[in-house]
Order: sequence, then structure tokens, then C-alpha cells
Amino acid sequence: MEDKIWGVIELGDGEVQFRQLGDLNLWFKYRNEEIWIAHCYTGNFEGEQSAGELPEGVRWSRWAHKNAYQNIRIEPAHADLPLIVHSEYSLKVSPRTDIKVFCRVPLWISIVIADDGYKLAEFPVHQLPKTWFGTRLEGELCYHTTTKASRNLSEVQPAPHLITCPVTIANRSNVTLNFEHFCFRVARLGIFLHENTLWADETQITYRGEGQNSDVVMTGKLPKGITQQMQLSKPRRKIQSSLATRTFKHFIEDTLTLG
Amino acid sequence: MALLQESLFDISAYFSKDTIRLLIRIAIFLAISFPILFTLRGWAHRYFEKKYSSHYSMLAGKLILYIGLTLIVVTVMGQLGISLAPLLGAAGIAGVAIGFASQTSVSNIISGLFLIAEGPFKVDDIITVKNTTGVVLSIDILSVKLRTFNNQFVRIPNETLIKTEVTNITRFPIRRLSTTISVAHKENIGQVRDILMEVAEKNEYALLEPEPLIIFDIIQPSSIDLSFKVWAQVTEYVSLKNTIHEEIKVAFDEAGIEIPFPHISLYAGEATNPLPVRLEGESLESDK
Repeated sequence: MEDKIWGVIELGDGEVQFRQLGDLNLWFKYRNEEIWIAHCYTGNFEGEQSAGELPEGVRWSRWAHKNAYQNIRIEPAHADLPLIVHSEYSLKVSPRTDIKVFCRVPLWISIVIADDGYKLAEFPVHQLPKTWFGTRLEGELCYHTTTKASRNLSEVQPAPHLITCPVTIANRSNVTLNFEHFCFRVARLGIFLHENTLWADETQITYRGEGQNSDVVMTGKLPKGITQQMQLSKPRRKIQSSLATRTFKHFIEDTLTLG
Repeated sequence: MALLQESLFDISAYFSKDTIRLLIRIAIFLAISFPILFTLRGWAHRYFEKKYSSHYSMLAGKLILYIGLTLIVVTVMGQLGISLAPLLGAAGIAGVAIGFASQTSVSNIISGLFLIAEGPFKVDDIITVKNTTGVVLSIDILSVKLRTFNNQFVRIPNETLIKTEVTNITRFPIRRLSTTISVAHKENIGQVRDILMEVAEKNEYALLEPEPLIIFDIIQPSSIDLSFKVWAQVTEYVSLKNTIHEEIKVAFDEAGIEIPFPHISLYAGEATNPLPVRLEGESLESDK
């Protein structure tokens, strides 16, 4: 069922459709010129979720839309907040070294009216804990996630509920960069489908040393074998050519020291 | 006498052609300037609300209104031929007299200016003054208006705010919840710590960074008290408070962690033997 999740779903009168991806379970139906959607996460409710009855405690939400459209489209999306991506194992990057890692981040599911693209709802495939990026005086709300930061994709199991993001890290400083976690602004990335795997375009991070701004560039460069025709979703926000921001942990430490 | 009456009630003596022309001119001026002033104020209100916050929108609106009203009054007085110089002189003398008579009001006005300049809070912030907590509705010349959470309107004079300790609850974007968790003496504190950290990690309002903190607080006669500190967004603080205690109780129940009630252990005088207890009632009857 998971490989058929993207695309248009035709909702018959009263007929309940069920989709599952990651921990997310979704039910859809069309009734009285309204689209009904229900969702829950595996683990929050007892028993196996299926197309039949909704688990106890899960409730339908109704959407009344002009022209009473009956078809919906399911699209992948990036998180609606930046992600603080922690590396499962700490990775140290030597001075004057460039490396490429693949960070796999959880995706969001966007449900839109197929005919006019009106967004009905959006759900993450996993319930991600929230975290704060910044100081106690100012900062921004983010989601927390963990990645293996693999150098070689053949080592990792394919997962349809994760987006593989190629990240190039260039350590331009004279000190070792401890790649523990970084703030990943995924809203500027598109999503591409290639051989049942979701991909994002490339991100380039240039680290210039503690106290210096790290350059984060969403290059828009596509991973090998992926073309623009494979794009499923556009970035939530327009890609900026260069985003000077303090990305690594040092940001928090610096500002804490100053504060 | 007749001549006097004639001149007093001769309306044409008051409303000469020039006077009527002047009054019409002033009326037209007022009819144009007031709508312009209120339109400008409304525009500033909307612009600052959209661009910045409702606090700056309120300040900009008031600034435009007061400046506009002053200009209108000065212009109308100029049209009527009233010179400002003697008025200002009189205002100086009157100011001293009025100042003595209305010390509180003047103090409030000056305090209001200090409040605006210092900016300890803004419109829509939640503040606590003495025992009153509420949302700031407006910061006016004489007072600050609050709406409490049980929907009461509270007016606090600016002078009081300058003199009193004011707590701004929503100044910073994140806030820490501190709660005391008591467990029985027999419990494994390491396990309790793990459970609490897991509860914080799973709670939908708790933030992972800044990291939750558990401090071994004190050994009480009936319990061991741990201080559990968890951060949340300021807007989700109440939701965190509402959910995390319930989740801790559920997690403790599942793990068999005892939340003790205050009790006293009686010492019978021997280290090993328990205090002898005798049952009253049925057992007593059977003894006979």
C-alpha cells in the first residue's frame, strides 16, 4: 500500500479509503458533498489499524468545498518547521575537508483537492518532538530528529516515509568540526521520487570556524539520476541563493556565552 | 435701555458676513480634517499591526491622533484670531495651579511616558501586577488596562505600575515549568529519572532543548523529592502543565513507582520485630 500512496484518490460516495505510511494511518471518505478525513498514529491506539472501523477515540474531520470535488491528491511535503538533525553517531570532519552525507528526514503528507490544489490537511508521518534552536531570549521552534548521516546509501534500508537529503559539508576552518547536530531548513527543498525513494535537492554547508557564520546554500542541484520531471513537491519557500546563518551547535554555545 | 436691548439681540451684529464666512470655512476645515485624521490613524493602526505588533499599532495610532488634534485646534484658533502666545503664558501659570491640584493625574501621565519609553510590556503581553494577572489591552495616558483570564476588566494606574514589581510572563518565547515529584524512599532514583526523561520526550508540548532537568531536591520524612524542570513554548505552557503531571502519574503506575502520602513509621523499640497489632471486633470475639 505504501508505494501507491502518492497521487489522486477517487472517493466514492460513502466508501472509506485507508492509507498508511510510517506511523500515520489515514482514512478518507466522501459523504453529503463533503470530504471526511480521519487520522491517527500507530502506538497511540490499541490494535491494528485498517480500512474498517476507526479506532475508538479517532474522529472524522469534515471539509465542505466549492463544486463538491470528489478527488483528492496525496503529496509528500517537508516539515513545516526547521529540523534539528542529530547525528546518531558523532562525526568529526577534519580541517579543510569536504564530505557528503545523506540525512534521511521524516516527511509530511499533504492532502489537497485534486482539481484545484486547495490544501485540506497536512500530517507528519511520525510525531516528532519539538525543540528550541537559539537562546532562552530568542530563537525558533524546530522539530528534533535523528539521522545516521550515512556516507554510503547502500548501507541503509529503503524507507518510503523518509526523504533522503544529500548534504555536502565543507570544513573551511583550521579546527575539527564536530558534526553532532545542525539546523536544517528543509522548507527550501523540493521533493523528487526516484525508484520508490524520496529525494531532496542538495544542501551545501560551509563551516568557517567557531563564531563565524556558516554558509548554508540550497544549491538546487539534483542527486545523480534524478531529473526535474521526477519532482513531486515544490519547496514550501522559495530557494534563496545563499543563506548566511549559524548552523552548528556553536551558535547556541556562542549566544549563551554572550547572553 | 431700548438701545442696549436692540444691540444685544441684534443677531446680525454677531453674524456678519465675515463671521459666517469664517464659521463656514472652519466647518469645512473640520469636516475635511477629521476624516483625514481618522483615516490616517486607521491606516497607521493597520500598517503597524501587520508589520510589527498590536503594541506599536496602538502607539502609532495614539501619536497620530494627538498630533492631529493639536494641529486642528491650533489651526482653528488661528482662524478665530486667538493668539497662542497669551494662552501659552496663561497655561504656564495655570499649569502650576493645576499641577498642585492634580498631582496624581500628572504623576500617572509622566509614569505612562516612562512606561512607553522603558517598554517593560506591550499590548497582548500577559503580566502579573500584585495579585492580578491578565492580558494587556492598552497602555493609555493615565492607566494600563488588563483583561484577566476570568474575563474581568482591570484598570491599573500607571503610577502603580512604575512603583510595583511587574512580571511579564510572555516576554521571552520559552518558559520553564518547575514541579516537585515525590517518590517513596525505596524507589530506584535512576529509574525514576529515566521515566521522567521519557515522559518529557514523549510530551507533545515539552521541548527537548533546553534539556529537561531533574534535581535531587530533598529527603523528606515520607518521600524523596525531585525537582523536575521542563521547557515549553510560552504559548503552550499551560498545555504542558495540564498534560505532563497526568503522564507522570500514568508512567509511575505502569512502572510500579510509589508516589507516597505523608506517613509516620512507629518504632516499637526493637530493630527487627514489627510493632504488635491486635485486631478488634470479630477476632476479639473468637478469642473468647
